[in-house]
Amino acid sequence: MTHRIDFSKLSVCDALDLAILVEEEAKDRYEELADQMTIHHNEEAARFFLRMVQIELTHERILTNRRRALFPNRPCVVTRAMIFDVEAPDYGDARATMTVRQALEMALGGETKAYEFFDRALKEVHNPEVRDFFGQLRSEEQEHQALVQAQIAKLPPEPVITAEDVSDEPVAH
Amino acid sequence: MDDLVIGMAGSGGDGIVSAGESLIAAAAYEGYSAMMTKSFGSQVRGGESSCRVRLSTTHVFNPGGILDVAVALNWEDFLKFGAELPVSGATVVIYDSKTGVEPAAIPLAGVAPKEVFAVPIGDLAKQATGTDKAKNTVVLGLIAGWFGIGRQGILRGLEKRFAKKGLALVQANEKAFILGEQFAKEHPLASPRAMDRPMGVPGKKMLVDGNDMCAAAAIFGGCQFFGGYPITPSTEVMQFFTREVWKYGGSALQAEDEIAGIGAALGASFAGKKAMTATSGPGMALKTEMMGLASIAELPLVILDVQRGGPSTGLPTKPEQSDLFMAAFSAHGDVLRPILAPTSVADTFDVTVEAFNIAERYQTPVIILSDQEVAQRKETVDLIDTSRFTIEERRRPTDAELTDYARFRLTEDGVSPISHPGMKGGNYQGAGIEHNEHANPTASGKVHAAMNEKRFRKLAPLRLRRDLFHIEGNKNAKLALVAWGSVAGICREVFTRAKGEGLDVKLLVPWLLYPVADEVYRDFFASVRAGFVVELSHQGQLYRILRMFTDVPAGVVSLARSGANPFQPDEILAQLRNAAVSLQQPDVSVPSEE
Amino acid sequence: MKSSAAPALPVFQAKDFKSDLKPIWCPGCGDFGVLQAIYRALAAVGRPPHEIAFVSGIGCSSRIPGYTTAYGFNSVHGRALPIAQGIKLANPDLLVLVAGGDGDGFSIGGGHVPHTIRRNPDITYIVMDNQIYGLTKGQLSPTSPRGLKTVTSEYGSVEAPVNPLLYVLAYGANFVAQGTPADMAGLSEVIEEAIRYPGFSFVNVQSPCVTFGGEEAQVKAHRAHMKTLKSLGHDSTDRLAAMGLAQLYGQELHTGVFYRNPEPPPTLDALFRERQETLAGKALPRERILDAFIQK
Repeated sequence: MTHRIDFSKLSVCDALDLAILVEEEAKDRYEELADQMTIHHNEEAARFFLRMVQIELTHERILTNRRRALFPNRPCVVTRAMIFDVEAPDYGDARATMTVRQALEMALGGETKAYEFFDRALKEVHNPEVRDFFGQLRSEEQEHQALVQAQIAKLPPEPVITAEDVSDEPVAH
Repeated sequence: MDDLVIGMAGSGGDGIVSAGESLIAAAAYEGYSAMMTKSFGSQVRGGESSCRVRLSTTHVFNPGGILDVAVALNWEDFLKFGAELPVSGATVVIYDSKTGVEPAAIPLAGVAPKEVFAVPIGDLAKQATGTDKAKNTVVLGLIAGWFGIGRQGILRGLEKRFAKKGLALVQANEKAFILGEQFAKEHPLASPRAMDRPMGVPGKKMLVDGNDMCAAAAIFGGCQFFGGYPITPSTEVMQFFTREVWKYGGSALQAEDEIAGIGAALGASFAGKKAMTATSGPGMALKTEMMGLASIAELPLVILDVQRGGPSTGLPTKPEQSDLFMAAFSAHGDVLRPILAPTSVADTFDVTVEAFNIAERYQTPVIILSDQEVAQRKETVDLIDTSRFTIEERRRPTDAELTDYARFRLTEDGVSPISHPGMKGGNYQGAGIEHNEHANPTASGKVHAAMNEKRFRKLAPLRLRRDLFHIEGNKNAKLALVAWGSVAGICREVFTRAKGEGLDVKLLVPWLLYPVADEVYRDFFASVRAGFVVELSHQGQLYRILRMFTDVPAGVVSLARSGANPFQPDEILAQLRNAAVSLQQPDVSVPSEE
Repeated sequence: MKSSAAPALPVFQAKDFKSDLKPIWCPGCGDFGVLQAIYRALAAVGRPPHEIAFVSGIGCSSRIPGYTTAYGFNSVHGRALPIAQGIKLANPDLLVLVAGGDGDGFSIGGGHVPHTIRRNPDITYIVMDNQIYGLTKGQLSPTSPRGLKTVTSEYGSVEAPVNPLLYVLAYGANFVAQGTPADMAGLSEVIEEAIRYPGFSFVNVQSPCVTFGGEEAQVKAHRAHMKTLKSLGHDSTDRLAAMGLAQLYGQELHTGVFYRNPEPPPTLDALFRERQETLAGKALPRERILDAFIQK
């Protein structure tokens, strides 16, 4: 959810910058999630989230290069303060013993949120160039969703014994 | 006569304590050394009331033992004070004839005072003022008349006190005073007991109690914040702060409870200001957790404990020295808290200033262990030259130290430069949890051991502080006295008298009770074969602590008893004499040196 | 007349308030969202980290100051409020925040709440309310609902819970709000508003415990149930209306500002400062403080 962006006033440059920040926010979130998994000794999930970090970085780089090519000298006027949890998956969905499947589902949730964000934006944007651009971004998010779903489909079935079953009791401090 | 001990008792409504206040104020003005203590029943007002004023042309160390003068406005109330107002055959007894008791039949069991005066105190008051309410002023006149003290001062005091209520009242009181004086002149003492005049110029002594002295000293020492809660007998400290500290740019908070009081003070210290709290035994118990936090967070903090009778609610208005164990040991975990004990109102100033200096220098909570007697007695104090005191500030980080600042850096002396909010680059997380040099939480045994070691090592120099001990007497004396707090005042008199009798005794009075300065005690006890650690606690707490941390010769024993049983110089002197005699006799139980 | 250009306020970002210490909270803990919201709020307010003092008690949520770059003080259980007041009075120019859990604040710390409220120091208190004692492994807390089975209420709790919102409203707090990490942006906004509000401000955050709370209490569930007070047409200047809505604590998850006193009363720190200014210099200088005792 965002409260401060007036989509009708955005230029293409602004839209690009916004998209970059969305990727950056998602990347930061995946970094945090990877840390959480590492601290809780969930190596598999940590590795997955680190891969997501790389993926988001790649997306960010692509957009940044595009921005540099199109608008080399334009200052950036959008800030992280304008977006809040656009593509970044929900903290609340993480679990210490989460499986890769659950982590993928979290990522899917993030991509879905991002899709909805750009979908909403489209409704408020009037500038045709910006509309076009947001349309592209929305499609990309759809592709990402599909990619993640394909990954999920490829997964072997969840093992009979889960980490939750064998985990030690929580520790009081 | 150079020393006079006056004890007075009546009911609260008689204003007998008020009379004592006037008397000591007059004595102070005239240049006497004087001390005043008060004692009450449990009623908030109107119960039995007594006071004791001692004045001398030489230094007064304690409020005295046997009364030279006893004033009883009624016998029921006087007797309620029992051993606090001891009378002997030599005491001049003055009482209100209205009690209907014959001079030969005064109800003082076991004593036959030679000079007893049944004075129509109430009637004289009525004569002067139309009511018997001015009894206390008549008493002042009697004392001035018989003992030649305080006339000028008392009359000045009466004028100041009653001026607001009008000239008529001032004059009536003056008349009451004069009637008392007249009675005394018309009925002279069989053996005249006029006090010698004090030497020196009048108007040059302070008159102050221990609590006010502590608060004033704290502000002098730079204390900018007080957090506390009312508790007898320390509340006056908070009252002083809530009245005065604003004038110096500081704040005082009467908090919702003892814990909040010390919590606020700790917060103020974290924010970079010198801070203190004050309480008594029950409050110390509640504050224990916060003191532990101060120790591990390495924050300067001064905690005044004005000891009273314990345990639990105990005896709120009586002195005792039974909080020492708690002050030293009440902490979960390994904690070392410096403890200082004033022995008089005068040295409450020095001790308080030093407490703040130690707190700042070593970034630690420091406990000032006072007691009800020192805290609430009024004492004349010679002018203090404040310029001879150094005020210390905590070690702040340099600019270089603020780049990659480590709040708990393991330094050579164990003291790490300390920042506070507002200081750029000094950001850190204060915490009660164990931490590493960068203040991050840790459960590592190695780091924990290193931090404990640091927190103890930084305080090690205190054990070498010979300046925090008062030692008197022949270095090689075999007989010793050790006393602290208000009891030290009794023992200093005992020491002087013992020396006068030719007893070869030495005296040690510690200001620093903890950590135990083992070298100081070792040197002191080296020559000692017999002696007493005199204190007011059932367990003899200092004695026990000394035996924990240093070698105490077998012949040095504990002379200790519960509070509200004040020591008399005579009884300690008697014990010393006995010990001296037994030292002279060959004694198989004392191992000979091979 | 045009004022001379004041130096531009440094523009802070959320990441400027993020410390290097990685939170050890269980993945899924509501506190992660609260932390993000706090970073955002602090960035918006714009005070530099070294001018912020963040005090907490003991509990999972009390670890939060260490995850910020501000000065922090993770003190003892239930006692953050007095310590925070001492800090604020010692240096009223600091931005003082307090954080803790429902047990820290309303069980052992409960006695300090009314007095902090009535003194009204300019500090902001954020309670992460999860109706459980998480750090010590799942015991009943003062806000646990009646009937809850925990390790110390095997047969179900027979106690009515404290209502933290009603509690602080009844004691006269002048700014009371509630939020949830299910709406981080909204939470960030109320926290920012609470910080900006002059006086004692209280923000209750429904921040679920992923390890000991039921699934029905987790962030996802919040999203389904939460209602903004704005959407209910609530007038936040009406304390009684706020208390009426607050009574639904436990049944409803209302977010936003319950009450904001439109005429903020003077703060403790401001009144103390005023007193210091009035009485400044009306005493003997420190070196002569003992002169008052001389019997002249």
